[in-house]
Amino acid sequence: MPHKIGIPKALIYYKFAPMWKTFFEELGLEVIISPETTKKIRELAISSAPDEDCYTTKLYFGHTMYLKNKVDFLFIPRFGSKHKTNIGCPKFIGLADVLRSMYSDLPEIIMPHFNIAKGRDNKVTFFIKACLVGLRFTKNPVKIIQAFRKAMIAYKQYKKQLIVDIETLSKWEQSEIMVNDFPILKKDEKPLKIALVGHSYVINDSYCSLDIRNKLRELGVDIITSEQMPRELIEEQLTKHEANLYFDFEREILGTILYFIENKVIDGIIHLMIFGCGPDSLAGEVASRFSRRNPVVPLLQLVIDDLTAETGMKTRIEAFTDMLRRRNSSFAFQLPALRIT
Amino acid sequence: MPFSYPHFGSLNYIFEVIFREIGRNDLIIPNKPSKKTIQLGARYSPEFVCTPFKMTLGTFIESLNRGATELGMGGGNGYCRFRYYWFVQKLILEDLGYDCKFVTFDYEDPLQLLRTFKNAGKGVNYLQTFRAFRYAWVKNRLTDKVDELLYKYRAIESEKGVSEKFAEKLYRDIVEIKGFRNCRKFLRNLPEIFKQEIDVIRDADPLKIAINGEVYVVLEPALNLDINKRLNELGVITKATVTLRKFLDIGQRLNPFYKMEHEKAIKYSHKYVPYNIGGETRENLGDVILYKKKGWDGVIHLYPFTCMPEIITRSIFPQVSRDYNMPVLSLVLDEHTGEAGYQTRLEAFVDLLERRRDIMREKKRLT
Repeated sequence: MPHKIGIPKALIYYKFAPMWKTFFEELGLEVIISPETTKKIRELAISSAPDEDCYTTKLYFGHTMYLKNKVDFLFIPRFGSKHKTNIGCPKFIGLADVLRSMYSDLPEIIMPHFNIAKGRDNKVTFFIKACLVGLRFTKNPVKIIQAFRKAMIAYKQYKKQLIVDIETLSKWEQSEIMVNDFPILKKDEKPLKIALVGHSYVINDSYCSLDIRNKLRELGVDIITSEQMPRELIEEQLTKHEANLYFDFEREILGTILYFIENKVIDGIIHLMIFGCGPDSLAGEVASRFSRRNPVVPLLQLVIDDLTAETGMKTRIEAFTDMLRRRNSSFAFQLPALRIT
Repeated sequence: MPFSYPHFGSLNYIFEVIFREIGRNDLIIPNKPSKKTIQLGARYSPEFVCTPFKMTLGTFIESLNRGATELGMGGGNGYCRFRYYWFVQKLILEDLGYDCKFVTFDYEDPLQLLRTFKNAGKGVNYLQTFRAFRYAWVKNRLTDKVDELLYKYRAIESEKGVSEKFAEKLYRDIVEIKGFRNCRKFLRNLPEIFKQEIDVIRDADPLKIAINGEVYVVLEPALNLDINKRLNELGVITKATVTLRKFLDIGQRLNPFYKMEHEKAIKYSHKYVPYNIGGETRENLGDVILYKKKGWDGVIHLYPFTCMPEIITRSIFPQVSRDYNMPVLSLVLDEHTGEAGYQTRLEAFVDLLERRRDIMREKKRLT
């Protein structure tokens, strides 16, 4: 019987899922991924996680607790960074250590460390580390190398599929194509164009983001998410400022907001923030300051935590889209940046 | 252009030394922050940013009102969001209508640091800058030693308030000292001076508590509500284990025969967190073990609200504490921290430690 390896469906899972999944499947393991976040997992999370962590980290604890008795191994990498200078969140590196120290009854955790910016890692050490992980399950080096190759191909394909290129983006801006699901429209209604900005582990997790994607779809909104944005545009936006935002995952968020504030082609931006997220607190402030200086594209910043009520959030989104529609239709007035906690 | 920098406990004197040495005589030395400062900062800050941001923003606004136009702040790339503060603070200050320029110091890279200091100085070459820098770290050793002795003697002095006044005088002396030889002599004589100047209670039997945590919170008395003084008044000897010398003191860092305390601590913590995760996580975890081995009674861990690396530390502390049988108290601090609740917790912790020590002594006597 093959070993069962569990991957919690939270945080960087949403960034590297195809890579990890393919790798372990090719090695002949049974990969068990925790289900979408549910109320039960949220309750598990809140009772098991340290109370000062951000909401998404708590959810990670919930997913891990869910998997605890169902698997033989847990895969929780200590992910530092995948860029020369920019780093991820320090919590990603500490996750495995915290879990190991808080709960001694967990199954064995596989926790490779990977960090280019501060850990002197590179492509070669990445390969070596992947091999070391593989050697725990099979003695056949050919199998490991093949699994590694297939994993990398899967990851590249996934990224290619996810990220749109500049041409597609400009087509989307001209309302020629859609990059996400088709919005549900009422009669004689034109779809609103909104950029949904936030960490990929927030906007893709329907429970954590209070199902915002579906809500927007029902309100007749055509969205593009920050993870789909072409990287060139983001880098271009961020190099305009003297300070280097060194949080790698925050870059796409701030870059997207700055791009659309400057570009002025869409109707609005919704920024999902997580309470207690370190990078969000600063990047959110920068975004709102720039939006206030150049108030053409309205920016709505929603702060989410484990106590956020769905109804209140829904009202705010509805109010925001209503305002955008009214603004488009008859008279134009300028909306300042809104921040609602 | 008048220059200013954030207030940073007794390191304030070091910053003064280094900027005077590189020819900046137009310094505006920041006032000691008060409750008002942090409220001023919190008013204009993002809501869930960590507390040092609010504190430094408050001090900057106060300094700008006193005429400063150039502000010094940490920069570069790292795990902590501290290095991105300046950009956000700049935007906030611009929106408030202040005209200011930021000079950022990447304190983890010595060469870069030297270059920035040279450019920030007036009419100095690299050699002079290095000399100024060397003064800074040598004098930082002095202030650290004075701090350590102050926290010791304040707990056991027979007449209250003497050692504090004396230390205040010594800090001023440290700023004034000229010449490295005199500095070294001063450092050697410090324990002797304290012994001569301050009468101590002969039969005092003080507890010893190490204080660690996020570096700004530990070193800035306005933010930690002067925890050292509070504990000293309860008759406890304290020691701040974190210091900025971890970055500044290139002399000791390059010395192959000398091991700085944080290096020892990192070695001990390898079992729990083998990789650097920013902040002072590894040092703080290792400190518990290090100070247990030194025979201290407890550790108090301070960190600002929403601090990313220290939340990890805090989550692992219970296990370290259990493994090594060392009491650890974690305290979160922000601008809403109430004095009374804080004092009560400290008193309760000290009471517990006292009882624990008595029981352990009893056990030893019986066996």
